[in-house]
Amino acid sequence: MKKIIYLFGIIALTISCHNELDQNPIDPDLFTEVDVYKTANDARGALAKVYASLAITGQQGPAGDPDIDPSLIDEGFSQYTRILFNLNEATTDHAVVGWDNPGLPNLHEMSWDVNNGWTKGMYFRLAQVVSFANSFIENASGLAESDTEVSYYVAEARFIRAYAYLQLMDMYANVPLVTTVTTELPEQSNRAELFAFIEAELLELENELRGVGTNEYGRVDVAASWALLSRLYLNAETYIGEAKYTETIAQSEKVINSSYTLNTNDGNGNGSAYDELFLADNNTNGAQNEFIFLLQFDGLNSQSWGGSTFLVHAPIGGTMNPAEFGVNGGWAGYRTTKALVEKFSYAITATNAEGEPISWGDSRAMFHSDGQNYEMAKIPKFTEGYAVTKFRNVDVSGNAGSDSSGDHVDMDIPILRLAEVYLNYAEAVARNNGDSATALGLINQLRTRAGAPAATISEFNTQFVMDERSRELYWEGLRRSDLIRDNKFVTGSYLWPFKAGVAQGAASDNHRKIFPIPEDVLLVNTNLQQNPNY
Amino acid sequence: MLTRLFKLQLFALLMLSSVGIYAQQIVSGSITDQDGNPLPGATVIIQGTDTGVSTDFDGNYSISAERGQTLEVSYIGYQVTTVVVGDQNQINLSLAADNELEEVVIIGYGALRKKDLTGTLDVVGSEDFTKGSVVSAQQLIQGKVAGVSIVSNSGAPGDGANVLIRGIGSLNLNSNPLYVVDGIPLDSGGVGGSRNTLNVINPNDIASMTVLKDASATAIYGSRAANGVILITTKKGQTGEIAFEFSSRATSFNPINKINVLNAAEFTSAVQATNDAEFISRLGTDDTDWQDEIYNQAFGINSTFSASGALKGVPFRASLGHTDQEGILLGDNFSRTTGSLNVSPQFLDGNLRVNLNTRYVFTQNDFANRGAIGSAAFFDPTKPVFDANSPFANYYTWLDADGSKLALSPTNPLALLNLTDDESDVNRVIANVKVDYDLPVDGLTATINAGIDNSTGEGISTQDANLPTDADGFNGSNNNYNNTSTNLLFDAYLNYARTFETSNLTLTAGHSYQSFEYDNSSTESIEYLNSDGSLNQDSSITQSFIDKSKNVLLSYFGRANYSINEKYLITATLRADASSKLPSEDRWGTFFSTAIAWNIHKESAGIENIFNDLKLRLGYGEVGNVNGLGDYNFLTRYTRSDIQSRYGFGSSFFTTFRPAPINKDLRWEVGQTYNAGLDFSFANFGLSGSVNAYIKNTNDLIATAIVDPFTNFGTTIDANIGDMENKGIEVELNTSLVDSEDFSFNLSYNFAVNDNTITRLENEQNVGDLGFGNSLQRHQEGKAPYAYYVYKQIYAEDGRPIEGAYADLNGDGQINNEDRYFYKDPYADMIMGLTASMRYKQLDLTVVSRASFGNYSYNSMSASSNLSQITNLNRLSNVHSDYLDTGFLFFSDRNSVSDHYIQNASFFRIDNLTLGYTIENVIGNNPLRAYITGDNLFVETNYNGIDPEITGGIDDNFYPRSRAWALGLDIKF
Repeated sequence: MKKIIYLFGIIALTISCHNELDQNPIDPDLFTEVDVYKTANDARGALAKVYASLAITGQQGPAGDPDIDPSLIDEGFSQYTRILFNLNEATTDHAVVGWDNPGLPNLHEMSWDVNNGWTKGMYFRLAQVVSFANSFIENASGLAESDTEVSYYVAEARFIRAYAYLQLMDMYANVPLVTTVTTELPEQSNRAELFAFIEAELLELENELRGVGTNEYGRVDVAASWALLSRLYLNAETYIGEAKYTETIAQSEKVINSSYTLNTNDGNGNGSAYDELFLADNNTNGAQNEFIFLLQFDGLNSQSWGGSTFLVHAPIGGTMNPAEFGVNGGWAGYRTTKALVEKFSYAITATNAEGEPISWGDSRAMFHSDGQNYEMAKIPKFTEGYAVTKFRNVDVSGNAGSDSSGDHVDMDIPILRLAEVYLNYAEAVARNNGDSATALGLINQLRTRAGAPAATISEFNTQFVMDERSRELYWEGLRRSDLIRDNKFVTGSYLWPFKAGVAQGAASDNHRKIFPIPEDVLLVNTNLQQNPNY
Repeated sequence: MLTRLFKLQLFALLMLSSVGIYAQQIVSGSITDQDGNPLPGATVIIQGTDTGVSTDFDGNYSISAERGQTLEVSYIGYQVTTVVVGDQNQINLSLAADNELEEVVIIGYGALRKKDLTGTLDVVGSEDFTKGSVVSAQQLIQGKVAGVSIVSNSGAPGDGANVLIRGIGSLNLNSNPLYVVDGIPLDSGGVGGSRNTLNVINPNDIASMTVLKDASATAIYGSRAANGVILITTKKGQTGEIAFEFSSRATSFNPINKINVLNAAEFTSAVQATNDAEFISRLGTDDTDWQDEIYNQAFGINSTFSASGALKGVPFRASLGHTDQEGILLGDNFSRTTGSLNVSPQFLDGNLRVNLNTRYVFTQNDFANRGAIGSAAFFDPTKPVFDANSPFANYYTWLDADGSKLALSPTNPLALLNLTDDESDVNRVIANVKVDYDLPVDGLTATINAGIDNSTGEGISTQDANLPTDADGFNGSNNNYNNTSTNLLFDAYLNYARTFETSNLTLTAGHSYQSFEYDNSSTESIEYLNSDGSLNQDSSITQSFIDKSKNVLLSYFGRANYSINEKYLITATLRADASSKLPSEDRWGTFFSTAIAWNIHKESAGIENIFNDLKLRLGYGEVGNVNGLGDYNFLTRYTRSDIQSRYGFGSSFFTTFRPAPINKDLRWEVGQTYNAGLDFSFANFGLSGSVNAYIKNTNDLIATAIVDPFTNFGTTIDANIGDMENKGIEVELNTSLVDSEDFSFNLSYNFAVNDNTITRLENEQNVGDLGFGNSLQRHQEGKAPYAYYVYKQIYAEDGRPIEGAYADLNGDGQINNEDRYFYKDPYADMIMGLTASMRYKQLDLTVVSRASFGNYSYNSMSASSNLSQITNLNRLSNVHSDYLDTGFLFFSDRNSVSDHYIQNASFFRIDNLTLGYTIENVIGNNPLRAYITGDNLFVETNYNGIDPEITGGIDDNFYPRSRAWALGLDIKF
């Protein structure tokens, strides 16, 4: 009898062993879909990730659990706006970088290749944003049917996906169009298809997103879809070979006539309401009224080694005092070329002994010239080229941001702001036709709030608007696209110091108007063809 | 399949649950040679069982046996002698000398006579262990076994080693073998705060280490054994008088290698050559060799005390060991206390044999900050260690204009060592109870083995408030961490042995359950002060992390050994494994192996006159592998963000959830090995050895693979991506050149060639990340794994490399990624080991050496030597002296992946030299041996980095191996 009891006991034990093969995560930080999409409130955490994947780099701040495998790109480098800066500003007349990380000098030299860490990092980052958005849209749509708030979440995720695709189309042109969660290797797409998709999505989102001014800060409303359409149509000729300036004007007008307003609040009383846009408290000092789509940063709660932490630290060096920028030190990396400084030649108010400008009557000329050489002899040394002081981690009262260690920065980064839409409108008018007086009026609003003299209608032409874009939007991640649209990025018609690696500047190759698809991706997905001439 | 397995198990359990009683008696006696001299350490086993004892120092033994059972007595160098147990209680035997080596070898779930073996394995007994300043068990057999590469991870005390048996068998999964200590497989994952899985064992407690190489030998261990098995058998108690043994050793460790960087004078002239006043103004006037500052002579002491014998007839062995060893890196310390107890009582007249092993280890580590290694190599040599102006406890620091640390500047290496602290305590207990019960069916034994391997570690790492950091108001940090890992094992199996007239059959069948549970937690707190010195509550952070996981492995196994006339041997093994790491539809893997062997010398007297042993072996086997794979990869999981990586909506911050990459198609990685081997031992002169040839195919390799980032959610997943082949030849030769009473001279030599090729790969993979998205290596079909994939440097006529000039290998007129080529790989084509041992009267001398050919290393330390590295970022930084040859100006995404930095790292190394003197009859008739031993005495290589022997080939901030000299004493009483 006893034996039989033992026997059954042991059999029961063995069966329970078999059940043990079905293990579920026991880690309190791991969840399943059931938990994450249980209620609208829970789904908000998943939506936050869709936004956050453009702002920070992983699930541990400032670094430690990266979104992108660190064998592809260092976590700190992998932050979206940091790579955006490298690809869209450091490749142009707006910026040079002295750091010698392999692949970084190649950007300004226009000699990046298929393994460049930054072109690779951006591809992975944006594609991941798409896959996170796809996942959110798929998983939250059930909840959205019964919960209006969640339906707005879904619309916002679709907007971010459209934004990511616009950037992918701009940079890589021929990427796959994937709108569902899948493990199937996707087929290659092209700018025509991508353009149509982005346009259709944004037009549809006009009816899906919250009304202007009705969403909380940091989340997009319907003006974001108009502003992004305005940007899309402005570049239509580049993307699909077909001008759509009328559409640009129409979409821009919707934004211009909305309740978004230029910031004219000179909170720190320095005579300009422009610098407030890039201060630690730009979420509250009035600048927020101009931000249509922005990324939120916080020195304590949203940390990474990219984002505004990068934008503030990286350009500080030489005789600049980090404390004035609200941080503990400068990373002595980025400066600008005199080609950008020259955009402000019209407003020079003082020069040094060599006759080089050191002061301007346009407060957007935020340059540090002390100890810096105006004429750049070589790129690596920080003192070559003027430094840029546009981004600061202090509030309107001069107090440093929330992170008392001085590492991480509070400043939010605008991705779409009203001033860009003004300039999109003006450029469309200048390139096509329209109401140039209104266009000039918009530009003069920008000038006036920066304490700069107003321009006259006789100055108004395409070149003027392009230069005004440079003055207003430099270092905000738009320059490469602007130069391409203006046919000046790779051609010899416009040279800047060290363009294509030559001190006086030189033309580059036409194929560099788009970036290569990373070799790692081509190895995995044999459906894809490399972009021409890489 | 399952139902059959169930029936099998049912049968096993039925057998187990029936209890019978059988007549047992204690047989004792003495074993001597033909001259009547006692033979201590002779083996007495009961044939057909794994019950056995060894004779004590006086040649006495005591064993419980049944009437009619056969005692088999063996001793190296003597003929095996058998005697059937009758009514007598006393059996004395004298053994005839014989050159035939007769050993009983522990194999998985049983034991076999070596002559009955069909698989490929090597046994290294304690007498053949390397006798240097060994702290980690792996070192004992370094260079001793053909085809086994053992490379210590670093020169840090107590550090682990990378052990490869027949080359790398996996790409990302763990390629290390399974360690089985007295039947308990160790958890290879280790525990946080521990330096080495094998630190649990005091090397002095080890009786032998057996390396199972081919799948027919390892198959019975199933999926954990895909990369071979190292069985560790510890010393056991014998019946007889209680004997004591004490060993102690004092060692001095001396730094011998430094990274070859510019000295102060060379550095100064390199900076002056820029003619840039600003750069020159940054130079100091001191002459500091930072590497001399961070390394020092270190000392260690290692003692073991053991007692073995029988108490009230119950054999036991107990040992206590203590190791305390400094590292050459300032502040590095490793301390270990080990205790072990083995008790093997018998009940029911010897029908029920219990073996109880308990092993406890307590290690205390002081981990020196290894960041100091790279920092010392590259810190400006013209700067002093201390500077009165530095606010950081006077440690020289690059300062800003406002007196704070210059952002991104390197940290003074001595500040890193002295102002940071990382200490851990790890307790680990491995206990098992193994019960063998002879069932009333003749030759049928049931065994239950239940074990637990539990580690708990706790540690604290702290940073002093004075540590130079970029952060303002930094007031120190500390991180308390706790780790627990619990590994449970339950095996139940039956062994059946039956001797027929001319043949022998042994059958094994059983069930195994293992679970692995990890529970890691840590609490981190970082303090920041306001400028008035008060604590800043907002910036200061305290947060906790928890990381837990669990996986389960279930197995059923069966094995048959059959021999005919002791000439023809066949073994077959079948094992079914299921791992919770795999999706349920691909969870079970069934793996088969078989081997045949032919004892040729038994065929005719003519052959036997020439060979004591001549055996041909052929084997085939397959083993699955999921070691090192994450626990829940096939489930959809979301990871929560911590408090510093939340995202703001409105004015609130929200915890985010990130979907984890998922792979629902995971299946077993399967290794298939074909092996052919020949063992030989000449009868008339002292030469024996073996030759093995093998082909090992690893199919469905699991590796981290990049995914198309539009699919899935991550950028990489673990996936089955391809197949790989290792093939090679191994030769082992042992020769006794002279063997007389006063003088003996033995040589043992082994060499192995291995060729490793990826035979199928779904997609090429860039690997060997250099930190900036650059990859140094590539997996590609037809190439070796981890082959370097680089640009071909062009050199000027004077031999200097031309910056940025690379060969246009595809001839398209431009230099781009298409011009990279495969150039060498990090793994050796041939490794060899040579051990020479001599004895003259009371003097003994052993020299252990190793050589490796065809392994290439990437000298990462020199790959960053360019002017930009020296002058960038408003500070100065030293560079590798390769700069004097190259004069490179910049980093580029090409020059770091140039073949210029791939160097031949073939080497010859003298691992150990030991000279000992034995004094007989010191205490009673027990001997005392005193010895001097030196480790890492000589390295010959053309490699210009710090050490040619670095696992994985990328030489980057390597903790250098020291040279050690030790004095030691072994005494028995």
